[in-house]
Amino acid sequence: MNSPLVRLERLSYQYPHTETLALYDISLEIRRGEFVGLIGPTGAGKTTLCLALSGIVPQFYGGRFFGRALVAGMDTVEQPVSALAARVGMVFEDPETQLTATSVENEVAFALENLRTPRPLMRERIARALGAVGLAGLEKRHPHELSGGQKQRLAIAAALAIMPELLVLDEATSQLDPRGAAEVFEVLRALNREQGMTVVLASHAAEELAEYADRLVLLDDGRLVAEGAPAELYSQVALIESHRLRPPQVAKTFSLLPHPPARLPVRLEEGLAALPPRPAREPLPQPPVPRPLAAPLITVEGLQHRFTDGTPTLTGIDLAFHPGEYVLIVGQNGAGKTSLVKHLLRLLEPTQGRVMLWGRESRAWSVGALARRIGYVAQNPDQQLFNLTVADEVAFALRQLRFPPAEIAARTTKVLTALGLEGVADRHPLSLPKGDRARVIIAAMLSLDPEVIVLDEPTTGQDYAGARAILELSRTLHRQGKTIIVITHQLYLMPEYAERVIVMGEGRVLLDAPLRQAFHTLEVLRETRLTPPQAVLLGQALCPAAMLLTPEEVARCLTASPPAGGAP
Amino acid sequence: MIGWQTVSRDSLFTRLDFRSKLALMGVLTTVALLWENPLWGGILAGATLLACLVAGVTWRYLMRLLRLLAPFFIFILFMQGFFAGPLITARTGQTALTPVWRFPAHWPLVGGAMLSQEGLLYGLNIIFKTLTMTLVVPLAIFTTDINAMLIGLVQLRVPYKIAFVVSSALRFFPLLAGELRAILEAQQLRGLDVERLPLTRRLALYARVAVPLILGALVKSQQLEVVLQAKAFTGDSQRTYLHEARLQGADYGLMAGMALFLAAVLVAYFAWGVGRFGVPAV
Repeated sequence: MNSPLVRLERLSYQYPHTETLALYDISLEIRRGEFVGLIGPTGAGKTTLCLALSGIVPQFYGGRFFGRALVAGMDTVEQPVSALAARVGMVFEDPETQLTATSVENEVAFALENLRTPRPLMRERIARALGAVGLAGLEKRHPHELSGGQKQRLAIAAALAIMPELLVLDEATSQLDPRGAAEVFEVLRALNREQGMTVVLASHAAEELAEYADRLVLLDDGRLVAEGAPAELYSQVALIESHRLRPPQVAKTFSLLPHPPARLPVRLEEGLAALPPRPAREPLPQPPVPRPLAAPLITVEGLQHRFTDGTPTLTGIDLAFHPGEYVLIVGQNGAGKTSLVKHLLRLLEPTQGRVMLWGRESRAWSVGALARRIGYVAQNPDQQLFNLTVADEVAFALRQLRFPPAEIAARTTKVLTALGLEGVADRHPLSLPKGDRARVIIAAMLSLDPEVIVLDEPTTGQDYAGARAILELSRTLHRQGKTIIVITHQLYLMPEYAERVIVMGEGRVLLDAPLRQAFHTLEVLRETRLTPPQAVLLGQALCPAAMLLTPEEVARCLTASPPAGGAP
Repeated sequence: MIGWQTVSRDSLFTRLDFRSKLALMGVLTTVALLWENPLWGGILAGATLLACLVAGVTWRYLMRLLRLLAPFFIFILFMQGFFAGPLITARTGQTALTPVWRFPAHWPLVGGAMLSQEGLLYGLNIIFKTLTMTLVVPLAIFTTDINAMLIGLVQLRVPYKIAFVVSSALRFFPLLAGELRAILEAQQLRGLDVERLPLTRRLALYARVAVPLILGALVKSQQLEVVLQAKAFTGDSQRTYLHEARLQGADYGLMAGMALFLAAVLVAYFAWGVGRFGVPAV
């Protein structure tokens, strides 16, 4: 049980055609049966380390490799990747690219076929792997018919079928909604606890890692910075934050107390146990400052939409968006969030009902004319970049719309400067990090000075610092008078930004309320399988009437409360 | 936009082995190439269209395909109508063509050019050939699971690596089509009314799609390579398969039927000229 399955000895690695080391002098042991979380900001080397465990680094990529990596007694440089693949199962970030077959059973069979497994044994292994991830009975389904969580569970099943000794998952939950991510974590917990599977998971999901991992390894800039149990590492809030990460909200909350405990609670359960009794007189929330709302820019009246095959996507939507609002739209995958905003851009036409934009019905607008009023940043920024330099990307629309050259230059410079992109104006947009690529799209959109800005999942795949940087930008634009609409699953990021929340589920609006009220309407959030931030749950237990939202608010309330009943 | 699709209906076509469908494709394409008579060609194209519908290819898809081909068909019809005269004379020995319409004689360059009935019929023949050869693709490919196609090809002794590349390309097609749609949409979302732009500017815009599309495809293919490596893929033919392709009675029936049909067509064509241009349909 405790013999090391993985031993990395002074491992360093440099990708070809790069000047810096992606991994630097990493020494690490992973014992059999451990659940190890790899944490670190974007570019820390988490993916490279995952690939090094399977031999893909350096065997597939080439480059310079120093030190030694032993997995299940096999040297990852000396053994071919195909031999290592029989011992190391890999699951990647994007559920779409990693599923290559046209049926669930063929997907699971693929690696087994490559390893020349006899057919009867193959059938047995497929049944067992699909059973382990809860997909039994879906053998003949096309992987594209599965939900995001099911797809990642299928990818895990495909890795499990070869009965690996080590399961490595690189950001396997980052593109999933909370429901899908929870499904994957539950499967991993069962595999680890019940079957003793060794799991290495690279992730930004602090709350979940605190809950499930035995040990965390913190990487930054290719170096191993720290390692330890989640309780130990997440207790060091300053260390975590200095590496552009965030600790679980429960740890952050207790770290803000005037006399924080030496070992902070890092799991929700521990945090709840550490709360003092409810104060006799609960502080009441500050009532939101009512802002006079001007006539709506956009109204949605009785909107219904069905796909051509008859599948309903939106049912009976009535909404209004006013100038200067900051609106958050939340809901599980398939709730209709993106379909709704696509109606605002006339990328979809109502099957019934209507959308009024600046007093005119949507069908009276062209997509181009609307896009000059509503800037839209789609989920995948890479598909929105088609120019050779950042400056050209920003100037593109202005040139196409025949603005005078002087105005094009002035607007481009202004927008690039405002977004801090002036230093990369001549770079190819796709050569920039993901957070900056989203920034380029926002810059390109802002060149037309739209009144409304829609950000569709802008923080997916970003580390905490990257996500915050984009949201800070949205706040700046909001303060400049723009109307902002953000779609995201990451509720914990939003209390500082959004004012109003629209909760959607199965194509309907389940709730439309001020953020504080919406985040505390737990039954509605649960109905659409959203996870409220830990601070909200702590606040509910501590003083529900106050409707607390952030670790800072909960800490303030705790400071004002009588001493804690139990030491955390 | 014409995309890739897999039929959802379970039919005789979906149950057939890919090898028998390859035989069907081969025979229909050969016959379409052989026949020059528009009536016979039309019957063959109509039958293929009907087979597509029976197999579950949607009417909507077929209409989109026809709409896409329509400008090409109109061009062919008029080109042949005006200019196929010498070819028809050589083929049929006919000295005089039947006029349908003439350009006024005083028009420069085209003045006096004649649209002939025979030319139009020859144009129709080319249209039906093209249509049959286009429609056999959805008929055979859309009705086959890509995995079954791969196994079928391997059993035809196509090296596994090549069969895998073919099946991967087919899988990649819908991904690329989706990327293309997203990029075109992104251009519109930069405030451009693409449909209202003059053709030259529109073409210049479409050309810009290539950069993100190719880069996107490269990124995806590299991701796919990494995924394949992690799944012990080596391209080695020495591997096992979960499923095997077995020829059933219907497959033998189809292949025998196709062989007989081809033989009959060849005999009729060479013995009695059935299907030749200018020879009336029997």
